[in-house]
Amino acid sequence: MALVELIDVHFRYAGSEEYALRGVSLEAEEGEFVLLVGPSGCGKSTLLRVLNGLIPHFYEGDFRGVARVAGLDVPKTPPHVLARHVGMVFQDPENQLFLSSVEREIAFGLENMGLPRSEIRRRVREVLELFGLEELKDRAPYELSGGQQQKVAIASVMALEPRVLAMDEPTANLDPISALEILSLVSRLTREKGVLAIVVEHRLELALRFATRMVVMDGGRIVASGDPRRVVLEASRLVGFPPVVVAHQLLRNRGLIGGAPPLTPEALSEEILGVIGWRR
Amino acid sequence: MSSVLDVFRFRRKNTPLHRLDPRAKFAILVLFSAASLILNDLASLLLVLVAEVALLAVARSAGEWLRSLKGLSMLVAMILALNYLTLPSNRLFTALTLALRFICLTTAFSVFFLTTAADELATALEASGLPREYSIMFTMSLRFVPSLARDLQTISDALRCRGLELEKGGLRTRIRNYTYLLVPLIVYELRRSLMIAEALEARGFGALKRVEPYVELRLGRADYAAIATSCALLALTVALRFTSLYEAFVRLQLSIFGEL
Repeated sequence: MALVELIDVHFRYAGSEEYALRGVSLEAEEGEFVLLVGPSGCGKSTLLRVLNGLIPHFYEGDFRGVARVAGLDVPKTPPHVLARHVGMVFQDPENQLFLSSVEREIAFGLENMGLPRSEIRRRVREVLELFGLEELKDRAPYELSGGQQQKVAIASVMALEPRVLAMDEPTANLDPISALEILSLVSRLTREKGVLAIVVEHRLELALRFATRMVVMDGGRIVASGDPRRVVLEASRLVGFPPVVVAHQLLRNRGLIGGAPPLTPEALSEEILGVIGWRR
Repeated sequence: MSSVLDVFRFRRKNTPLHRLDPRAKFAILVLFSAASLILNDLASLLLVLVAEVALLAVARSAGEWLRSLKGLSMLVAMILALNYLTLPSNRLFTALTLALRFICLTTAFSVFFLTTAADELATALEASGLPREYSIMFTMSLRFVPSLARDLQTISDALRCRGLELEKGGLRTRIRNYTYLLVPLIVYELRRSLMIAEALEARGFGALKRVEPYVELRLGRADYAAIATSCALLALTVALRFTSLYEAFVRLQLSIFGEL
């Protein structure tokens, strides 16, 4: 069975006329980096909230369809049980960090699970090491830079060892370099730990290179899904063309270059250098 | 406004006072505030203040305290003036004593809050039987004070950019201007609280009533010493306060002030 399995999911928020999700079906396996894109209000955030049970448990409304995560039936499983399987990271790190030290922040979720102190200590140590946060462990989260804060936010949900990491615009408040760092950290988690990452992200030029799959939503439906190189061309009406794709298209139309569009400026440069026969 | 709130803003430092268990610091707080309330003369209260400032110096926090005192100076001046103008006799002595008592009390709380992290305090409260929901609520209410101050700043900046002069005009205009500030602020904070609630859910908060906290509070030798000393000094203060010696001491001070 797939790690995440949604079949024909519909959801309408209580008090709203429109359905935010209208028949979404999605299967995803461990180790995937799924980039979820689409215009504002297309249902991306709502979809993420189905994965960790905030919908339908925290937000009331009309839920239909099948949602299974790690073999658990989402509508029948309380959010704190799902929290062990799905880590959720939000846009603003400030609203996800509550305590006075990084160390305690990471321990918070583990405390909530009722783990014994010795086990909490072990996992906190592991997570600090995995994320390279040992030096910051006594600092207050609100004293850290935005990138460090978001790293702490990810570390504190990963402490619960979830197999799915759902992220709602995790780099929206970050500068490009920190954003790149956070996304490559997530990519590392998918490769080394087999985590399934489902990431909502507007900055294609930063996120595309890490994606193993791209899913495009519009009006509460999934309108394209698959290899990012293909999907980025199919769904350009909704997501726009990243400059690297435009450059590739122009070169290809003049017959100078072939194949699918590269996902980073570096890859395009390599291709061009290859064509003109430049060797290092 | 921010400077008054500064009194209670914790800053992490590594000093003997910061390292004390919150419960030991609570004992010190009880000692100082009880002493400020039962002592009724200028000289003794001055002694209390000197002791408090000495502790603040040990905690390397005297600067923050002084800055916060500046914010409270209006209140102190008001206590002085109102008492001096309305009391029937011993006006200056009593007014000074009451103002000093106010300073001693707020300083006692500064000593506590400048050296105790909110979540350490919450852990101590939890260890003494407070339910986890309340201890976390307490931690977060302090944690989000700076965020609230920043939101307020953002909104008032945005209003100023559009030509609203918040500090101008008569009382009625000002009150109306502040509603312009308050409505978006409330909306802002409601939205923030929703996001915080989501993040709490996502980390399994509230699933269990009782959990084993990560930080283990253990009273060490220094903590026991601080608690014992506080208790002893408090007992001594209470005992001395109700002797004829204390009455004589107060009379002596009154005679110095004479008819003022």
